[in-house]
Amino acid sequence: MKLYVYCLAEKLGGLPSIHAAPVLGISGAQVDLLKVEDFALLVSEFDGDSAPSVTRDNALAHAAVVASVLNETTPLPFRFGTVVAEDQLRSYVTARREALKAKLDQVRGCVEMSVKIISGSDQADVPQLNEMDEQGPGARFLNEKRRQILGSERRSEDAKQVAAWLKEQVGTYVQQEEVSLSQTEKLMVAAAHLVAREQVAKYRDQLTMARKMRPELHFLVSGPWPPYTFSNIELEFKTRFGVS
Amino acid sequence: MSSPFDQMLIESDVEQLEQADLSLLETLDHVLNRGLVIAGEITISVADIDLIFVGLNILVSSVETANEVVRNRK
Repeated sequence: MKLYVYCLAEKLGGLPSIHAAPVLGISGAQVDLLKVEDFALLVSEFDGDSAPSVTRDNALAHAAVVASVLNETTPLPFRFGTVVAEDQLRSYVTARREALKAKLDQVRGCVEMSVKIISGSDQADVPQLNEMDEQGPGARFLNEKRRQILGSERRSEDAKQVAAWLKEQVGTYVQQEEVSLSQTEKLMVAAAHLVAREQVAKYRDQLTMARKMRPELHFLVSGPWPPYTFSNIELEFKTRFGVS
Repeated sequence: MSSPFDQMLIESDVEQLEQADLSLLETLDHVLNRGLVIAGEITISVADIDLIFVGLNILVSSVETANEVVRNRK
């Protein structure tokens, strides 16, 4: 029998519940508390060697178990589909004890907020070259490539500017951020912000004001989430032990 | 680098997506693409003694998987 792992936290008073009812895990499984070193891990028994199917119900069950802990403390979520033997899980936690503690220190008292900024225009603002009709196929091809490169550079520059603007707007409330700039035509910026719980209301208010300043952009804001984006310790482990 | 779910968002008309769709996409984006990963089976041996062993379990999500999950909701 293997274990499906949901998240790791510092200390938990008991199993999480929603409205006094126990939270159920993947496939309706009972969620158990496993103590390893100084940590508490939420797990459920899992019959099978491979990861569970990616279905809406399974994904939501995973999210619900992790989110239920968020009321008590800030956990480090495991990625969906983590199925291991108990001794493997114990070895993993023991080997990474210091990195896990450091990561828990970083996220303590915080939640993750997600902001995606999408360009409101249907057409990318790509420079048009009027002389294209007067040229042969080779020159037209090269001009088209040039137009694509210029468009890509412009989108990249726009995305950088929007990301800098976003940081300027909400940076006061952000303890840590992960930002990816997209060079696709519509999605400009995908940002994850680590925000102290007591600052979330102010962060939202600030974001609401900021959105009004940029009506040409679409904002998709979600949260608070457990710190999924800020939980990966692999970099720290690699740095410390020289392996990955 | 954008995730499969980001791609679905930008390929859709954002104004037309229901809040429930957005919530589901965001949930999938978080639980499938992020979080602690027990990433790889590692055995570090020194003088024939295994010091560290970590179980292997990597989940690969794809645009097709994401699409299927959202389709099944409807």
